[in-house]
Amino acid sequence: MSWIREGELSLLERLTANVLKAGPMPKHVAFIMDGNRRYAQKRHVERQEGHTQGFDKLAETLRWCLNLGIHEVTVYAFSIENFKRSKEEVGGLMELAKEKFLRLLDEQENLEKHGVCIRVLGDLTLLPEDLQRHIAKAVVSTRAHNKCFLNVCFAYTSRHEIANAVKEMAWGVEQGLIKSSDVSEALLNECLYTSSSPNPDLLIRTSGEVRLSDFLLWQTSHSCIVFQSILWPEYSFWNLCEAILQYQQNHHAIQKAREVHREGQAVQQLESDHSCVAELLQHRGNGKPVDPQCRQTALQSYAASREERVQRFIGALQQKRDTFFDHLLSPTAVA
Amino acid sequence: MALLYELVWRLLHCLLQLQRAAAAWIRGRVWRRGGRLCRRAALRLPGALGFSTQKKTAKPRRVRWVADGKALEKLPLHVGLLVAEEEQQYTDIANLVVWCMAVGISYVSVYDNEGVFRRNNSRLMEEIMKQQQELLGSESCKYSLEFLNNGTDPHALLCQTVVKVLSPDDGKLRIVQAAQQLCKAVEKKERTSKDIDVTVLDSLLRESKNVPDPDLVLKFGPVDSTLGFLPWHIRLTEFISLPSHKDVSYEDFLSALRRYASCEQRVGK
Repeated sequence: MSWIREGELSLLERLTANVLKAGPMPKHVAFIMDGNRRYAQKRHVERQEGHTQGFDKLAETLRWCLNLGIHEVTVYAFSIENFKRSKEEVGGLMELAKEKFLRLLDEQENLEKHGVCIRVLGDLTLLPEDLQRHIAKAVVSTRAHNKCFLNVCFAYTSRHEIANAVKEMAWGVEQGLIKSSDVSEALLNECLYTSSSPNPDLLIRTSGEVRLSDFLLWQTSHSCIVFQSILWPEYSFWNLCEAILQYQQNHHAIQKAREVHREGQAVQQLESDHSCVAELLQHRGNGKPVDPQCRQTALQSYAASREERVQRFIGALQQKRDTFFDHLLSPTAVA
Repeated sequence: MALLYELVWRLLHCLLQLQRAAAAWIRGRVWRRGGRLCRRAALRLPGALGFSTQKKTAKPRRVRWVADGKALEKLPLHVGLLVAEEEQQYTDIANLVVWCMAVGISYVSVYDNEGVFRRNNSRLMEEIMKQQQELLGSESCKYSLEFLNNGTDPHALLCQTVVKVLSPDDGKLRIVQAAQQLCKAVEKKERTSKDIDVTVLDSLLRESKNVPDPDLVLKFGPVDSTLGFLPWHIRLTEFISLPSHKDVSYEDFLSALRRYASCEQRVGK
């Protein structure tokens, strides 16, 4: 089964889509695709079949998102916690993933036609090596596409992601690229696996569970969160529309809250810069009072040099990430 | 054509808003009617049984609340009260905290995304003490409340509830501060970047060592978002939404706890 199901919306679906699009639409939607196993139980089929149908549903949902003008989708495919499942089930999921990523490579034309960029987010070193290589091929081959983005969280938990981001910043400090005072919310954002994406506007969890299960905890702090009781393999276009409607009802209040948060961030950054500059001037001035003009100039120049440091660090981080994938694909890759 | 779609869209959202407003109005009427009936019955009952009014009306409620707590299959250890509404009613929040206490919940966090409760911490604390007296009456001395400020460790005692008032600064900002601390340690060569993992970060973010992650968050208000509430700590938290904290009833609170008791956590398995 292909990654993006071919097909167009029916007339009624198209009309509904057009009505919805008259209002604010989410640009980035995240899905916790829960309910595959319960679906399998309900239909009296094997668990593996439930997961396969779950993948088919993902392909269909991606098509709907494209039709609705939603160009970025992030999905929770496999959590680090899922390694606790039986060896049989984990093995089955790894095989399914391998099959789908291999299939992806056959669909280069289709992916290029839709301009799909696939990213896989998580601690990939926890996965079997051959799967890592398939993933690397898929990511590298679609890297340049920029019409729509599919982020697959695999071997992922939010806490691991945040801890890893802190680790990367510490690495930056070790390398002398940044100072500890450069650490900020914005910089942490750049160090997350999701750094190339804006925060999701809408997070949908299916199957009726009402928790986040360690998924995008940082990124969804000001997102609209919709819990739907439908099992993932049964998800329909109308369920998606219902979620979008809820997003639209919450839009104004959430935008307001985001604005308040952004203002708070700006204040934090300014305060941090002020205190760094005050310390610097104290060292240079040897206790003499500093005139406001001098302080203002120092503040501006400090902010500029901080920005420069941060950009250099982000560049180095990106290079480190690209090298990871390129290394996996090189014929001389050491096991 | 685009104009037509826009008109339909506006109509749709108008209808949804009307539906929401109607539901809120009905809820208000039912509560007020139900409340009036209950209060009348509560006042008449002790008289009918030959007891004096004041002292004894408090006792049946508390006993019922304790029994309700014990009857639940599982009780959350830590409940978060997330107020996603523009106006804050201190008495209603105080009621919720006291009910949590009576039912046997050990930790309660109160949060709003503009830090209003945090700024008016003492007013909230006073209100909670007042409601504790009013709702638990003579039995209130059996329950002790501890208000947790940053850095203090709660003392685990029987019949004790620890209350903490949170703001957005306790969320992402706290994580950034922990990150800065770790990076400073790396700068001073006290640590290496390889030392940093989930456990290290978690221990820094758990400044009050005994306080567990929230098991349950009761979200009040129409906004479907966590609005910055403790991002690190809510990885397994159940979220139950209630329309409003204004005039919230004990029955609403209990039914949310019952819903929590029926959920199954597989933790990845």
